[in-house]
Amino acid sequence: MNLIVTVFLPLLTAIFAGPLLKGKAYLDPGSGSFILQILIATLVGGLFILKTFWQRVQTFFRSLFSRNKDDQEE
Amino acid sequence: MTPADIHLEQRDPESSSFRDPSGFLFTSGGVLYRQVNQSYRPDYDRLMESGLYERLVEQGLLVPHQEVDIEPYRAGLAYKVIQPQAVPFISYPYEWCFSQLQDAALATLQIQKTALEHGMALKDSSAYNIQFFQGRLCLIDTLSFEVYQEGRPWTAYRQFCQHFLAPLSLMAYRDVRLGQLLRTNIDGIPLDLAAGLLPFKARLSLPLFLHIYLHAASQKRYAGQRVDTARQVSSTAMKGLIDSLEAGVRGLKWSPAGTAWGDYYEEHNYTQRGIEHKKALVQEFLEAIRPENVWDLGANTGFFSRLASDQGIPTLAFDVDPGAVEKNYRECRAQNEKNLLPLLMDLTNPSPDLGWHHQERRSLLRRGPAGALLALALVHHLAIANNVPLDRLADFFKDLGRWLIIEFVPKSDSQVQKLLAAREDIFGDYAVEPFEQAFSRCFTIHRREEISDSERILYLMERKD
Repeated sequence: MNLIVTVFLPLLTAIFAGPLLKGKAYLDPGSGSFILQILIATLVGGLFILKTFWQRVQTFFRSLFSRNKDDQEE
Repeated sequence: MTPADIHLEQRDPESSSFRDPSGFLFTSGGVLYRQVNQSYRPDYDRLMESGLYERLVEQGLLVPHQEVDIEPYRAGLAYKVIQPQAVPFISYPYEWCFSQLQDAALATLQIQKTALEHGMALKDSSAYNIQFFQGRLCLIDTLSFEVYQEGRPWTAYRQFCQHFLAPLSLMAYRDVRLGQLLRTNIDGIPLDLAAGLLPFKARLSLPLFLHIYLHAASQKRYAGQRVDTARQVSSTAMKGLIDSLEAGVRGLKWSPAGTAWGDYYEEHNYTQRGIEHKKALVQEFLEAIRPENVWDLGANTGFFSRLASDQGIPTLAFDVDPGAVEKNYRECRAQNEKNLLPLLMDLTNPSPDLGWHHQERRSLLRRGPAGALLALALVHHLAIANNVPLDRLADFFKDLGRWLIIEFVPKSDSQVQKLLAAREDIFGDYAVEPFEQAFSRCFTIHRREEISDSERILYLMERKD
């Protein structure tokens, strides 16, 4: 965990440094919580795209097989 | 009633509603209203016009409201006044079992996903904003939404992790009783505390690694620092974040097997005839008094609570055992029971007034009194296991409800003998006569019935005014 705190997080911050989006939120989102989301955005976004893609593949094959089944029944 | 009439009635701001400048709750003439402030106008209009309000209400995820024509509490700030549908009993996350907190977390994420589809986002994700209402989970804060700004991280991310993910993971991975940390940490469990208490294997779950461990590390690294970042959270990344949180919440499991009380009904010392007689008596008493609601104290898995809730009476089933509450809740969920809400409550140390000015979260007592109390097979636990004198027991019940259906379990009963097994019997006064005397000070005893095949007695009492 120390490695993450001392190397990984500062490194990523340095890469992505720039102006922070400001909102009018009443809740303090917390600097660390905001930054973490930005740091893991690519990872969680990528995983989400993969998951969605995989679900589409599954749906496609399921519909294909169920159609074949229907054809056979007819 | 005209606006002028209402103006003359007692008006008070709600003590828990002060953090968000978008608006606040107030009561007028005993009715709860929410003032929507001018500053919230664009967000409120978007909520109502985008179809989000209708969709969430249709799904039962948001409390329905009506815009009303009454004078605002603070007219200078006001845009509108709305009257939300009343939720009869407000319960708190430290009174929920594992699955209740998990379902509340999933409801919050579902609301966020639906909001994103309508160009909005939750601006807070407090567990206190979710309530159990007629067998459903429902967001009660209509002003929790804001117009979604593409690229902006989720403001409520930290709050979600503290209010839901941290307690749920501690309950699942360490001990279910750690849910009680929500009582001492009113804005959720600090993530560094959760990370420190969780066992090493919790790190092997990617969502927990990201949202608890790495999150805690990031909070420590950037505490109080002003760090500017140009990289934004795209809408796909936002969906990914919500999906990852959902996977984290769904991946947590806790089962009540092996808790102290879970199999109590199989262990009690009633004969079949005895239990049928007790059931018939409770049913008969309830039918005679027709209370507006029932609080079953020491409800176990809700066998007797259902005698009330099945009659259509809104019923709360309190128990101290997280396993019993969990089993009861799962049964309610499976059967889609609308009138029964199981809750976790230690009657020897019931929920106190908490939060700012001791007024944010109400004690159990301040959320009463109940129409009727059920106190079945309970008195010996309070009087003997917790050394509460009988007159103090009567005082407590008098403050908690109007009608009382109470069972006296004599010392000769094997359940009481178990409690006395390893200790000296200092309870000379624990007998039927002193019990009736103590309770007669505060209650009128209407019925007294000996339960068949047992030495136990069931009473129907009414509070003296």
